[in-house]
Amino acid sequence: MLPYADAAYNLARWLTRNDHDAEDVMQEAMLRAYKFYPGLRGEARPWLLAIVRNACWTWLEKNRPGELAIAEEPEADTPGPDVLLARELDRRALNEAIATLPVPFRETLILRELEDLSYKQIAQIAEVPIGTVMSRLARARRMLAEKLSPTTAAPRLRLHK
Amino acid sequence: MKPDDKTLNAYLDGELDAPASLELERELAQNPALRASYERMRQLSAAVREKAEYYPSPTHHKLAPAERKRWIWLAPAFAFVLIVGFGLGVFLAQPTEEELLGNEMIASHVRATLSGRLIDVASSDQHTVKPWLSARLPFSPMVADLSQEGYTLAGARLDYIGAQAVATLVYHRRQHVIDVFVWPTPSEAPKSAYARDGFNVEHFARNGMRYWIVSDLNRNELDDFTQLLASR
Repeated sequence: MLPYADAAYNLARWLTRNDHDAEDVMQEAMLRAYKFYPGLRGEARPWLLAIVRNACWTWLEKNRPGELAIAEEPEADTPGPDVLLARELDRRALNEAIATLPVPFRETLILRELEDLSYKQIAQIAEVPIGTVMSRLARARRMLAEKLSPTTAAPRLRLHK
Repeated sequence: MKPDDKTLNAYLDGELDAPASLELERELAQNPALRASYERMRQLSAAVREKAEYYPSPTHHKLAPAERKRWIWLAPAFAFVLIVGFGLGVFLAQPTEEELLGNEMIASHVRATLSGRLIDVASSDQHTVKPWLSARLPFSPMVADLSQEGYTLAGARLDYIGAQAVATLVYHRRQHVIDVFVWPTPSEAPKSAYARDGFNVEHFARNGMRYWIVSDLNRNELDDFTQLLASR
């Protein structure tokens, strides 16, 4: 059994957003991991995640190039609108909101929140400067907050109250 | 100065250095709006950690599963080739029945030469040798007189080759000894020859008799001798 297989699969699954394509990516990632394994220095988990991440991007470039385009926005200074308390957030809505984040933001959020990696590790995996990790994470959380905000996401729910 | 969104995020993630953290904490203490923002951010982060799906690997991924798979079906094939190859090697390395017989006769020839017990009945007369053999064996071998051709009959002895009693005719050619082993066989066989340990071995079967000729004589002369024997 491959160590960190779950972490690897989770990332592939979040970036491709379905099991079938995630398996596809995993096959390719495992080949690469096997090939580059002798060159592994340092921690295995970020190393493996970097391989999976690259395999995902290669796959997305080939199959869904539209998803990789980043619409750069001027940085907002506000942390985003109100969100419900964690325990009140609907699980399905939250997962859908994450899934609709653009890939670069989604991967940053997943690596930070689900893998608990440091900015430095995420920067190495995503091959971007740490500053970019910071701004992507800030923007990912802001976008998520906007999608989940009761005022923007579910205005009709309020009408029924 | 109002801390920006990134700083707040970095503080939440524990990525802010100590002086910046202290400064932000002072700011948070004084600024309720900032505190509320931070609290929302913290709640959202906690919600993601708590409620976002974590997809465990549904299959047992191994390093390079595709390669492993290829090896998996290659393994029995490889094993098969190995076994067949080994079996074939053993089979080919196995001396044939003829080789085993030949070895026995070479051994007999060498033993007889070493001990000097080459001959039980010493006679150059075929009419003495043939009855002597017939009286001691369940068959009567042909005893050819080849003295005209330069192969003098020296006599004969009894031997035990291939689990049966055989007649061994002894001829001389100059200083060389030629042993001719004879026993009955139902089949015919063409002349064949090989060399081993410096001895030339030839054999053929005709007229219900099998002949093995073993000598340290050179191949050409032994060929002649065998030819003569076979033509009688």
